[in-house]
Amino acid sequence: MAILTGLIVAALYTPIFLTIFYSFYKTRKGKVDWTSFSYEPYTKLIFEKQILESLMNSIYVGVVTVICSVVIGFYFANYYHTSKSKMKEFLQFIIFLPFLLPPIITGLSLLIFFREINLPRSLNTVVIGHTIFVLAIVFKIILNKLETLKPSLMESAYDLGASKFQAFWYVLLPNIKLSLIIAGLLAFTISLDETLITLFLIGNDTTWPIKLWAKMRVGFSKQVNASVTLILILTSFLVLLIASIISRSEKKITY
Amino acid sequence: MWNLIPVLEQYLKMRQLVNYFRTSIWTLISFVLVISLILIPLGSFLSYSFFTVDGTDIIHEFSLFNYQEFLTGEIYIKTFIRTILLALTVMFICILLGYPVAYFLARYAGKYKYSILLMLIIPLFMSYIIKIYMMRSILGFSGLINKVLKMLGVIEKPLEFFLWNQNAVIITLVVILLPLIIIPTFTSLEKIPKNIIEASFDLGCKPFQAFRYVIFPIGLPGLIVGSIFVFILALGDFVTPQLVGGTSGFTYGKIIYSNFGMAFNWPFGAALASILLIVSVIIILFTNRLTEKSKT
Repeated sequence: MAILTGLIVAALYTPIFLTIFYSFYKTRKGKVDWTSFSYEPYTKLIFEKQILESLMNSIYVGVVTVICSVVIGFYFANYYHTSKSKMKEFLQFIIFLPFLLPPIITGLSLLIFFREINLPRSLNTVVIGHTIFVLAIVFKIILNKLETLKPSLMESAYDLGASKFQAFWYVLLPNIKLSLIIAGLLAFTISLDETLITLFLIGNDTTWPIKLWAKMRVGFSKQVNASVTLILILTSFLVLLIASIISRSEKKITY
Repeated sequence: MWNLIPVLEQYLKMRQLVNYFRTSIWTLISFVLVISLILIPLGSFLSYSFFTVDGTDIIHEFSLFNYQEFLTGEIYIKTFIRTILLALTVMFICILLGYPVAYFLARYAGKYKYSILLMLIIPLFMSYIIKIYMMRSILGFSGLINKVLKMLGVIEKPLEFFLWNQNAVIITLVVILLPLIIIPTFTSLEKIPKNIIEASFDLGCKPFQAFRYVIFPIGLPGLIVGSIFVFILALGDFVTPQLVGGTSGFTYGKIIYSNFGMAFNWPFGAALASILLIVSVIIILFTNRLTEKSKT
C-alpha cells in the first residue's frame, strides 16, 4: 500500500513536473535537448500581453469573488447559526446545489438567466458564477468555526453593553478571523482555476484558464509553460498557507 | 420625572425594533441574492427546456418537443448511457486506487500522514487545463508512457490505445479526480479510535473480519461522499473528452455544450441538461439518505 501511495503521488505530479520541465528545456523531435536550459521564457513573459492580461483578469475575478463570497458566506453562516426557523435547512440545501451539481448545469443556468435579463456577459458575470460556486465551501468553513464558539461569548458582550456592531467588531470578528482568511484563500485558489463554469459566462475577455484552453489547439509555447509554472508556485503556496493556518489554529485554544 | 421610565422603555423597544429590522434586512438581502442567483437561474433553465428554437430566435412557448427529440433520437440515449458507464468506470477505478491509499494514510503512515495528505490535496488545485494538456502529451504516441514501456522492453512498437479514445478520457479523469475520493475517505477512516479495532481483535476477529465488520462500515460515509463527487464531476465534464477523447470522446456533457455553441439550440441543450440535473439531484438525495443511515 505504501508503494501504491507513492505511485499515485508520482502519477498526480508527473503532468505538473513535466510542465515545469518544458518551461526550461527545449525538445526536438521528441528528444530532450539537455543543453537548452534557459530562463528566457520567463523574461519573455513580460512581452506576452495576452497572457498577462488574462492573468490580470483572473486575479481581478479571484479577488472580487473572495470579497463577495466571504461577506455573503458570513451572513448565511451567521443566519444559519443564530436562526431557529425551519427555512435554514432548505437554504443550506440551495447554497450547496451549485457546488454539488455538475458545473455545466450551474454555468448554463446562469447563462440563460443573464440572457433573459439582458445582462451582457463580462468578467462580472464570471464573478457571480464563481461566487455562487464557492459559496458553499466558504459558508461551511465559517459555520464550522461559529459552532465551536460558546453562545455565552456574544451574550456577555451584549451584557457588558456592546452594541450589535461593537459585539461583532470586537468580539466575534477576532474569533472567526482565521476561518474567514482560510475561506477567502480557498475561494481565491478555486476561482483562479475554475474553467467549466467560466466557459459559459465569459464574454469577450479571457481569464487565464480560458486562455490556456484556447492556446491548447495550437500547442503551448514556452512562455505559456512559464506562466503555468508561476501560477503553480502561487497555488501551492496558497494551499500550504491554508494548511499551516489550519494546523496553527487547531493548536490554539478557543474560548 | 415619573414618566421618564415608560419613555425610556419605549425608546429601548424602538431600538430593538430598529436593530431587528437592520439584521433582518441583511438576511432578507442574502435571501434575495440566493434565490435570484441560484433558484431563478435554475428555474429559467428548466423552463427553457420546454421552449423551441426557430433559426436564431427562441420561441417562448411551452412544448415537449425537446424531450420527444431526446427519447426518439437514439444517439442521445445511447450517449447518455455510455457517459454514465464512463463515469461509473472512473468512479470504480478511483475507489480501487483511492481506498487503499486513504486506508494506508489513516492507519500506517503515522506522523507523516498529514504531509502526504497535503501532497495529495495540492494537485487538486492545480490547473485543470494543464493537467489535461500534459496527460495528452504523456499518453500520446511518442509520449512518456510509450517511451517508458519501450525502454523496459515491454512493447516493441508504441501503443496507440492510450490517446484519442475512451481509455484516454478515463485515465485523465482518474488523474484529475483521484484526490477527491482520498480526502473524505481518509477523514472518516481517521476518526476510528484505535481501541475499537483492538477490541474487535480481542473479541476474536480475524484481520479481514475486523476490516469487513468494523473498519469498512465506519469509513463508508466518506467513501460514498467521495465516490459521488467523482461520479458527478465525471458525468458532467465536457472539456476532458473534447481534448483527449478524439472522435469517441462524444460524451453527454459535450453534446450539451455543443448545443450552446455552434448548434445554437439552447432549448434542446437545456432539455438535455435538465435530464442530467434530475439524475444528479436524485443521486445527491439518495447519497444523503445513505450517509445518514450509515451514521446511525
